[in-house]
Amino acid sequence: MTGDLLFQQYPFVPHIWDEMKDAEAIRRQYLSIYETVSKLSLQDLEKKDSLASELFMSQGITFTVYSDNEGIERIFPFDIIPRIITSTEWEHIESGIKQRLKALNLFLKDIYNEQQIIKENIVPAALIATCPHFTREIFGIQVPHDIYVHIAGIDLIRGDDGRFYILEDNLRTPSGVSYMLENREVTKRIFPDLLASSNVRMINNYPLLLHDNLVSLVTRQTEDPVIVLLTPGMFNSAYFEHTFLARQMGIQLVEGRDLLVDNQKVYMKTTAGLRQVDVIYRRVDDEFLDPLVFRPDSALGVPGLMSAYRKGNVAIVNALGNGVADDKAVYAYVPAMIKYYLNEEPILPNIPTYQMKNTDEREHVFANMHKMVVKETNQSGGYGMVMGNSATEVELENAKKAILANPRSFIAQPIIQLSTVPCLIDGKLQPRHVDLRPYALCGPNGIDIVPGGLTRVALREGSLVVNSSQGGGSKDTWIVDMEGGH
Amino acid sequence: MSIFRIHHITKYEYDRPVKESVNNITIYPYQSADQETLQQELVITGNPDVFTYTDYWGNKEGTFNLLTPHREMVIESKLLIRTLALPDIQVPWDVFMPELDAVIGSDLQLLELARASPVKAVSVMYDYINQIAPANKNITQIIADTCDLIYTHFTYIKGITTIESTVDEILEKKAGVCQDFAHVMLELLRMMNIPARYVSGYICPNKNGMRGEGATHAWVEAYIPGYGWAGIDPTNNVWVTNTHVRLAVGRNFTSCSPVKGTFKGPARQSLSVYVSVGYEDGETFEELNSVQLQKQGENEVPEIIIDTFAGQQQQ
Repeated sequence: MTGDLLFQQYPFVPHIWDEMKDAEAIRRQYLSIYETVSKLSLQDLEKKDSLASELFMSQGITFTVYSDNEGIERIFPFDIIPRIITSTEWEHIESGIKQRLKALNLFLKDIYNEQQIIKENIVPAALIATCPHFTREIFGIQVPHDIYVHIAGIDLIRGDDGRFYILEDNLRTPSGVSYMLENREVTKRIFPDLLASSNVRMINNYPLLLHDNLVSLVTRQTEDPVIVLLTPGMFNSAYFEHTFLARQMGIQLVEGRDLLVDNQKVYMKTTAGLRQVDVIYRRVDDEFLDPLVFRPDSALGVPGLMSAYRKGNVAIVNALGNGVADDKAVYAYVPAMIKYYLNEEPILPNIPTYQMKNTDEREHVFANMHKMVVKETNQSGGYGMVMGNSATEVELENAKKAILANPRSFIAQPIIQLSTVPCLIDGKLQPRHVDLRPYALCGPNGIDIVPGGLTRVALREGSLVVNSSQGGGSKDTWIVDMEGGH
Repeated sequence: MSIFRIHHITKYEYDRPVKESVNNITIYPYQSADQETLQQELVITGNPDVFTYTDYWGNKEGTFNLLTPHREMVIESKLLIRTLALPDIQVPWDVFMPELDAVIGSDLQLLELARASPVKAVSVMYDYINQIAPANKNITQIIADTCDLIYTHFTYIKGITTIESTVDEILEKKAGVCQDFAHVMLELLRMMNIPARYVSGYICPNKNGMRGEGATHAWVEAYIPGYGWAGIDPTNNVWVTNTHVRLAVGRNFTSCSPVKGTFKGPARQSLSVYVSVGYEDGETFEELNSVQLQKQGENEVPEIIIDTFAGQQQQ
């Protein structure tokens, strides 16, 4: 079979936005990949596919899936056909994310200081009072440059109208950026000439940008600041990424036991004695960071770390307490935050979100359970989610019971038919649903978003759940500058 | 108006040297108009710098560390403090729930302090609430009746509960010390949607003698619209006036613990706490408590090298 036939056989599904093909033809941004792939045989493509798998395997690019308290290490499935977004679409996404992050940073500063947005009743006080991630222990702490979200992974989806929507905000320790970078490296190996000839924007300066941002947080007068990446250790699901980023940036990878606090300063234990630490890029959750303040049983953190943070002797990235801003029930108020803090209309819309605490909204959801996805406000990674269109009646009834028992812990949203892109599966090009997680970096000089992101794909036919923990895969994501306008 | 001289010594001893001890202390008087700190002297082993700050609830807290190996750590506070409250409390007896509901709705701290924590023995709690019969009563009456109920139904016994005892465990034993009395009262008030907070401090003696003398004490403050936070002590069944000295307020004991810390080293620790409270130039009441810490067994040396401790139960 030739590549050309693969494209001819690619199905058109009405009512779903396919990013490669509309009802008539292949979209312009996919023509270069079409031209390349259509000249290849299926055998060539499958060879590239297995080359890609071998590259991932040999580099040890893995993640861990948790279930029943057991961790299983897996290769992150990769699909060789890139996902392509035009630079015009990208500029819209970029401006929308920047606007959102500006508002979310202002919200975090407000909520941990003056709380004006509550006093003016824009965000209900009850919502914050019941938010498990509202972190009283950091109240009043001044963070450098008022930046709380240094690194954001905001998830976007594309609806059947072709528009991009915000799915969720990940403002704590968003992961996956190493896959974005590694996917590109693999694409370079399997389609060596295509990236340049297709005018794909570069993403490989991400570690450099991140490092620059971390350096910008140093307040100590020193020529040789110490920046470390704090990992929970090798059993963490994202340990590969921690080692990858530390190596790429040339910073030390440390665990809690490698650090100590003396008189509100953090030190790293080295063979040459103690060295003061200026910035900690931590991949340890808030509640494990300081056993003196948070969970006393945590051995992953550093006792006294919060006092050094409070005194301004160490910067912590991301700030603590960000979970109050990416709570799934607080999400519904982000458009209101944008209006309140920036006096602007949201560029990227939210998905309509029903608060289960509100009786009218809850009854509407219960009457339309088959069209709804129910999510736990406090969960991520696709855990704690019920899809109304595929759940059994028993599962739906259980979801209703759980909601009634604890309404604040759930929201519901109408199920959105995510856009599809072509994937090479079983010797055919098949449409599969995707989302997009661009990585934004907020520094004192503004917000940088490397052009691209992690496209996650639901590899099972018809599935709308893209999370890697739920059997999703990923794709290289191209932002292409189209010659001669759009 | 009274002036009290308070002496509070917290002493940790270890059977082998420990190191990298990092501690948090909440033993400064709470800053408010009704008590005035005349003098506080703090002496700590090794004479470390103490970094102080104000927490979310408005308490002054301090952090310090002792990195070098040591077998003993003593935190000694000498306090001279004047209480300015009147000997009789002037709470209003004509404020009702609808007024409170209107105030709580938009106030974050009142909302969170009116939110009950999950208790397993819900029916037991509702039985108590039925006895209090809050319907149509004014708020001050509800608070007083709740206090009275706990004082009547619970027995004051030292040593049968611990610093970590839950409300369910206290309900089952129907006994405990001031910390436990306060925790039950907080939950009952919150279940009736009355904002309530834990108070840690000292109680100063009177002629009749009071429970909780000679140790750090704990009681409750409940919110009454138009008045503010009214202190009430379920261990002694009295409104709080000028014989209680406040150190800290919070959601529960955890946010007010006078001393907590961590250290490294495979050692057994023992804690003793000495508190004496006296009128300036007057009678002194004192007590020394050896505290059985939870984490240590008699014969085993813990394998873990980081240990945490949360100090003494409030009595």
